[in-house]
Amino acid sequence: MIAQLNLIERATLIAPNSVYLPWTNRVGRWFCWIVAVILFGWMCHNLELRFEVLVRGFTKLGVLTKAMFPPVANGAELKILQSLLVTFAMAVSGTVLGIMVALPLGIIGAKNVIRNSASHFVIRRTLDILRGVPVLVWALVMISAFGLGPIAGVIALALADFPHLAKQFAEAIENSDAKPSQGILASGGNRLEAMRLGLLPQVVPVMASQSLYTLESNFRNAAILGVVGAGGIGFELEERIRIFAFDQVAWIVVAYVMSVTLLDWISSQMRARLV
Amino acid sequence: MSKSVDQPTHLDRSSLSLEQIVEHFEADRSRALRRGRFVQLLQVLVITGLLGGAFQASGFFSSYLGDGAIGRIANFLTRLLPDLQPDRLFEDRTTSGSLMYWLYDLDLWLKLLAETVQIAIVATVLGAIFALPLSFLAARNLTPAVWIYWTVRRTSELVRTLPDIIVALILVAAFGLGPIPGVIALTLGTTASLTKLFAEANEAADMHQLEALQSSGGNWWQQLRFGLMPQVLPNLASYSLLRLEINVGGAAALGIVGAGGIGVELSRAITFTEFDTYFALLLLIVGLIFVLDLTSEAIRDRLIGAEKTA
Repeated sequence: MIAQLNLIERATLIAPNSVYLPWTNRVGRWFCWIVAVILFGWMCHNLELRFEVLVRGFTKLGVLTKAMFPPVANGAELKILQSLLVTFAMAVSGTVLGIMVALPLGIIGAKNVIRNSASHFVIRRTLDILRGVPVLVWALVMISAFGLGPIAGVIALALADFPHLAKQFAEAIENSDAKPSQGILASGGNRLEAMRLGLLPQVVPVMASQSLYTLESNFRNAAILGVVGAGGIGFELEERIRIFAFDQVAWIVVAYVMSVTLLDWISSQMRARLV
Repeated sequence: MSKSVDQPTHLDRSSLSLEQIVEHFEADRSRALRRGRFVQLLQVLVITGLLGGAFQASGFFSSYLGDGAIGRIANFLTRLLPDLQPDRLFEDRTTSGSLMYWLYDLDLWLKLLAETVQIAIVATVLGAIFALPLSFLAARNLTPAVWIYWTVRRTSELVRTLPDIIVALILVAAFGLGPIPGVIALTLGTTASLTKLFAEANEAADMHQLEALQSSGGNWWQQLRFGLMPQVLPNLASYSLLRLEINVGGAAALGIVGAGGIGVELSRAITFTEFDTYFALLLLIVGLIFVLDLTSEAIRDRLIGAEKTA
């Protein structure tokens, strides 16, 4: 008789609550789902996310996409490639600056380096707060301070990165094994030697890997900085979107995606060798 | 003893004394070290050159910051701070020096802040909904065919190379100003990144539970629902929450290109050089993200805890 029932019915017969929860829990669950769906619908309503708006938008997007083919640069190939280069140079410089600021902060923010919990708390919380500022917001500030150009972008990238990096560096140091350093201290080494030979070999690969990861994300971040005027490829892109030159937009996007893919691949190869 | 030392092959060890062997070894070792140092030096030089080139290309050395750049930055920073008078702090918004004079459009800003959060939530939910079925196709252990796995993986990688802002910029041209291009841009980015993260969680799942269901007659859907989902759901929820945090920051920035949310006011404040307003908006955004981080960290801890005890 049991063999005629399907899997779920059989399981329910043997152990009543193994497949489905008791009906009280199920009602509770359904209630939560219904509330969630209503909330979601309410948010969509607030954002004016309506069907006909989407249809109209996607139709227009289709027209724009058609205008993207074939992608051409209209004689601006060299200029675009040059600004791509500037973009990646911005990413590299911003990351390096960020690392230089993050390194000392990461070291003094690590619990096992400075055991004073008050300073640890202050440093970590400050970094937490700074991490909330998006890179584009920094860029707007830096452009007002330094004027238009890539230098504002470099400093914005560094400012956006160093809180993340400092936190990761501090965690890398905290997660390191204390035994090698203790061994060096026990066999007569001083604090500096314990750091150099006991701690560094453990944390440097981790830090380098995280820095490369930041560099990869900065290849993307640097591209958007140009949109607000901080130099690089984003500026060229924004200019062409504004005049609806979508065939050139497509050319830039393709060139950008290809070079980012290449750089990501190089960076991931380097990371794989590190760890 | 001589056997444990890695000797060059041309050396006939039997005819040498211990001192000579050691001498040869030291010579070899210092040669190897010198070669290593040379390679290291070369690497350092190349990297320094590349870095210098990068700094040069990004205008780090050549930028003319004007006379007294430090003073200008200090001046700028003081302009960020609002002009608050302690004796008039709680007057209404028409009195200069009061809190409400500084936060003169607080109602609108809070509304836009709420819009920013809603853009992020809707985009994250939609992204997670799209990413879930895609992640089955992009998981090596669940995919129906290798070419599907490959296509989904490569497509999601390709989409992830495009920053949300660039996508939003193009979408604003199609959909017009407002939150909708922001939602779509963030949904696209979220779908791509969650597909990858979900697929990796699926690949790490224990397949024995699915096999047990299959052998007792469970169909494909039942295997996923009762074999896979209980294993991966805490992870998927944790990834989605992490993505929600990222999306709130993203949604705040999207407004700068006209895609809705608080960013619209941010770029307006900058264009009208209302730096104290900019600072107020910045505080609001940072406060929002800070609160959200703490909340989702607490939820994530509970989810991971539930996974560990389960």
